[in-house]
Amino acid sequence: MDSCYCNYYESSSLFHGSFLDIMGTRFDIVTVGGTKTVSESLWNEIISELVRLDKMLNRYDKESDITLINARAVYAPVKVTPEMWNILSNCRQYYDMTCGLFDITLKDFSQVYLNESDKSVFFLQDNISFDFGGYAKGYAMEKIKALLRFKIDNAFVNFGNSSILGLGHHPFGNYWSVSIENPYQAGEVLGTLEISNNALSTSGNMPSNPKHIIHPISGEYIEKRQIVCVVTPNSVEAEILSTTLMIANDKEKADILSRFQVNDIRIYNTGE
Amino acid sequence: MIKKDEQIDQDLRKFIKNLGYIAGGTALLATVPWLQSFTPEKLKEIRNEKTRIALIGTGSRGQYHIHNLLKIPHVEIVALCDNYSPNLKAASELCPKAKTYTDYKKMLESKEIDGVIISTPLNWHSPMVLDSLAADKHTFCEKAMALTMGECKAIYEAYQKTDKVLYFGMQRLFDEKYIKSLQMIHSGVIGDIVGMRCHWFRNNDWRRPVPAPHLERSINWRLYKASSAGLMTELATHQLEVSNWALKRIPDSVVGMGDIVFWKDGREVYDSVSLTYHYKNGVKTTYESLIANKFNGMGEQVLGNKGTMELAKGEYFFEYAKPAAGILQLINQVEQQIFDNIPVAGPSWVPEIATEHETNYVVEGKININSGLSMTGAYKDGSEELIASFCQAAITGEKAKNIVEECYCSTILCLMGNQAMDEQRKIDFPEEYKIPYLNF
Repeated sequence: MDSCYCNYYESSSLFHGSFLDIMGTRFDIVTVGGTKTVSESLWNEIISELVRLDKMLNRYDKESDITLINARAVYAPVKVTPEMWNILSNCRQYYDMTCGLFDITLKDFSQVYLNESDKSVFFLQDNISFDFGGYAKGYAMEKIKALLRFKIDNAFVNFGNSSILGLGHHPFGNYWSVSIENPYQAGEVLGTLEISNNALSTSGNMPSNPKHIIHPISGEYIEKRQIVCVVTPNSVEAEILSTTLMIANDKEKADILSRFQVNDIRIYNTGE
Repeated sequence: MIKKDEQIDQDLRKFIKNLGYIAGGTALLATVPWLQSFTPEKLKEIRNEKTRIALIGTGSRGQYHIHNLLKIPHVEIVALCDNYSPNLKAASELCPKAKTYTDYKKMLESKEIDGVIISTPLNWHSPMVLDSLAADKHTFCEKAMALTMGECKAIYEAYQKTDKVLYFGMQRLFDEKYIKSLQMIHSGVIGDIVGMRCHWFRNNDWRRPVPAPHLERSINWRLYKASSAGLMTELATHQLEVSNWALKRIPDSVVGMGDIVFWKDGREVYDSVSLTYHYKNGVKTTYESLIANKFNGMGEQVLGNKGTMELAKGEYFFEYAKPAAGILQLINQVEQQIFDNIPVAGPSWVPEIATEHETNYVVEGKININSGLSMTGAYKDGSEELIASFCQAAITGEKAKNIVEECYCSTILCLMGNQAMDEQRKIDFPEEYKIPYLNF
């Protein structure tokens, strides 16, 4: 099966594009108001961008940029592309802003030496590697937002359910209304969030996937049944906050939230 | 509690119900007109009646029918006929009360017979069917219709004149997974049909043991041109019938090649055939059959611009995945100009399997898939329902719609295929053999 497909609904000038196997999940975009030509050409740009980013940031791809860095930066400083440099610097900044809880090494970002002068990266410990699992989708969303700018006003983007972007509004409402289902109780709606020109990121455990959030400092898996939803203007920050708030203690939470612009936060305890 | 001996007829009713039949309703059965007479209400009408059935040909297929007939409450097997005594004896042991004959014409003189079931070599179909109808018997004959186009036409014409019931062994018309698949295809589930691929592969010599050399041609009648048209009439008939059923058309021409590739044992019919049937709208059905390799088994694929239906397996596949449920809701909202929630947010969605073709099933639960390997009859392939329907029709006298026409067309197509392979040229559907049925 082709992993990409799209459909244009003439009567409502709605475009739907779907990419079924990208960054380990599924990507859907619905845009409203664009012509077929504009929508399809944007879709092609989005596909290319997603493929490019996956090739750069996917540590499970044996030929990706990140795989190369992970393999070599233990032995010697590795010079990186300007874009990768920006990403790594950005991640370091968020590491500092989140009491060290947002950590792309999942272990100890302080053991990574980022050399500004030649834009190189060097691992000071031999068991360090990068994982962009909690970052890449948000980064990709920001890139997509830039592609849509001035071309499409109303768009709804769903990247694997956990990363959502709502630009403009639903064509028959003033915002996009997104509901969240309890993963432990099919059919039970935990809540509904209104988003407009905002990103919504959701973190939490699922019955099918209970061990995937790791505390970078203790090294332990966070296995509690909790769902954290964060709405912020920036997709990367939504990602970072939903994950770190899942693992932060109360003091850390207050510290972290004082440093970000957050439009909505929901924390659902879904039982033991 | 259903008694075991009522099982088969219960199965026929259950089968009708499974197709979605509602008492008194006609809408659903309109798509399967040959089933209209077999509703539970109609069964009540014949509850106290019996039909007296005779069999001509009591070989493996005849005995298979006997086993099924014995389970139908309104059937009495009254006569058996075969010119090969071991088969006649074996059948007689299954139903000892039935009178035995070696001359079918003699048997047809009997006034004690309502219906006749013919399971004989292909060259006998035409004389036996015509004689049976002439003797005022309701008649069931195995497929294919006959050995030559002229014989088929004679049967078709006799059928136009008779007031008797005439059935042919087109059991796919009675197979739940085929019926449902075809209904789905006709409702547009896989889009426009753009092609068909049919194949039937086995790996055996297609022979039966011969106790004495002089019996070779009568026991292994399938292998000789005087009594058989080979793989086409024995196997392809069913699949070409389904192809026409799917397309609601009859092909206008065929090209093909046939050879004896592996079983060079004195047989006259091909053991390897490859043909392409062409429909007027440009759609083509490819047909392949080999009997020295069984890897691909038996199958019929209907290819649509939106999906593919594997008829023999009751499975279908979409060319593209359907939108995820939440996104689909959003699309529907916008299309219907409604504002509502989009139920999509949640912890990260992880694909369960790599994106391969997702299989969808036509019939829920366990279904029986015919591997195509049996030379007698597969379990639950519609044959039981077909014979039960015939027996009910033998009481009510209601003629079955479409069955004769379907068998006629698919048999002519098989014979055209053989002609194309024999003469190595394209064969058009002969004008003189066209009947007023479907579109050509």
